[in-house]
Amino acid sequence: MFTSTTFDILWQRDVQLLFLDGLRVTLELFALSAVAAYALGALLAALHFAGAFCSGLVQAFVGYHRNVPAIVQLMVWYFGVPQAFPASWTGWTDAHLSGFFYAVVALSLNAAAYISEDLRSGFRAVSHGQYEAARALGLGYVATLKLVLMPQAARAALPALVNQALSLFKATSLAMAIGVADVMYIARQVDGATYATFASYLVPTVLYLICTLTLMACGSWLHTRLSAR
Amino acid sequence: MKRLISAILFGLLMAGTASADQLADIKARNTLVCGVFGDLVPLGFEDPATRKPVGFDVDICSEIAGSLGVKLQISTVSVAARIPAVSAGRVDVVAAALGYTPERAKQIDFSSAYYQTPIPVLVKKDGPYRTFADLRGKKVSAIRASTPELFARQTLKNTEIITFDDGPAAYLALQQNKVQGMAISQGAAVGFRNRSEGSIVFMNEVLHWEPECIGVKKGETALLEAVNRALDKLESSGRLQQIWDKWFGPETEYKLTRERKVTSLAQFQSE
Repeated sequence: MFTSTTFDILWQRDVQLLFLDGLRVTLELFALSAVAAYALGALLAALHFAGAFCSGLVQAFVGYHRNVPAIVQLMVWYFGVPQAFPASWTGWTDAHLSGFFYAVVALSLNAAAYISEDLRSGFRAVSHGQYEAARALGLGYVATLKLVLMPQAARAALPALVNQALSLFKATSLAMAIGVADVMYIARQVDGATYATFASYLVPTVLYLICTLTLMACGSWLHTRLSAR
Repeated sequence: MKRLISAILFGLLMAGTASADQLADIKARNTLVCGVFGDLVPLGFEDPATRKPVGFDVDICSEIAGSLGVKLQISTVSVAARIPAVSAGRVDVVAAALGYTPERAKQIDFSSAYYQTPIPVLVKKDGPYRTFADLRGKKVSAIRASTPELFARQTLKNTEIITFDDGPAAYLALQQNKVQGMAISQGAAVGFRNRSEGSIVFMNEVLHWEPECIGVKKGETALLEAVNRALDKLESSGRLQQIWDKWFGPETEYKLTRERKVTSLAQFQSE
């Protein structure tokens, strides 16, 4: 039975500090993974149009990351991949690569696969005539991509890209499974120590909502800004 | 404001949880619903041959149900869900390596301790870690929301405690040198050590000597007294020793002696 003191834990200094620490880790996880994921996603989308061989590789990458649960990918990176390292490395990797590192790798690879698909559909929304016109004007392939196609593709793909940012933000909570002390991990730790279950999970709920709503606001600000031209 | 929010949330939680005397309910429906682990050898697990839950705690539950004169229904619980399962009334009692702590006792009531276990720390045999002081600045894994986690945090002040969802993940982290030690209840620890083929050993120090109790919903004194009577009877008849020996005794891989008898909770609280 819950006692009336259940929610008092939220006003305890050490609990607040723990949650703040967790929030910092969650934000760091998200920021690092997002930067890596969008950069890699753009690269993958560009590679997709660079010949059949590259396109095949990208499709295999996307196929794996879209069809295997993200939690499995995380486990593979944390527990599986280090076992495949040569024995001479493992001493160094055990000491220096933390769960946080593997979480960033797994989350950014996973998100990059989705982002590349969204960008690719954005590219397809730009008519082929744009490409031909840019080339006819004397722009090279890279310049055409960077100056003509990418800006238009990004605009077309923006709503989907914002969605991926939201998904990635929520997916950071999976890192808990490999011992990364994010907000969700702290919630379970506080719950385990106090048994104030409802209060413990109320905190991440509110924190995730604040962060994702902020992301959505940024998305719609970008949307109005880009479409105003 | 703070009180108002608390009061509203509290009210929401309490809605519809009121019930009459639980012991009377159990007798009326002629069934004791007992929460045990579903995946922890030898406390509670599925027998591969019969697909039925078996184990030390299952036998204890069955004896308690027998003593109450009702049928037994087993319901499996996870480490983290043990206490909510009792407080929300999904199970009548929980017998799942439930160690007594004052914090937990605010949520549910505890029976007498029916056995007591040391909480050890496992380390690699070829590593340099022999005492708790050696673990200073290192990492120790534990199962999330388990008492070994709590006692590791209390005892190993300068060690980082990293928690995982289950025993195998925490053990894998030790095997792969992601952590230098692992805090886990003794029964499970012996299992992991035996499967490590000699690469994992116990440290000599233990984190805590833990009383393991049956959990009952808070305020259900009639049920709690009935459980305590059943446990006392199990001890005096020697039946508890038999069940212990069946799962942990010299014939098993654990070879554990039951050093302490059924002990009333008052004795721990006065310690």
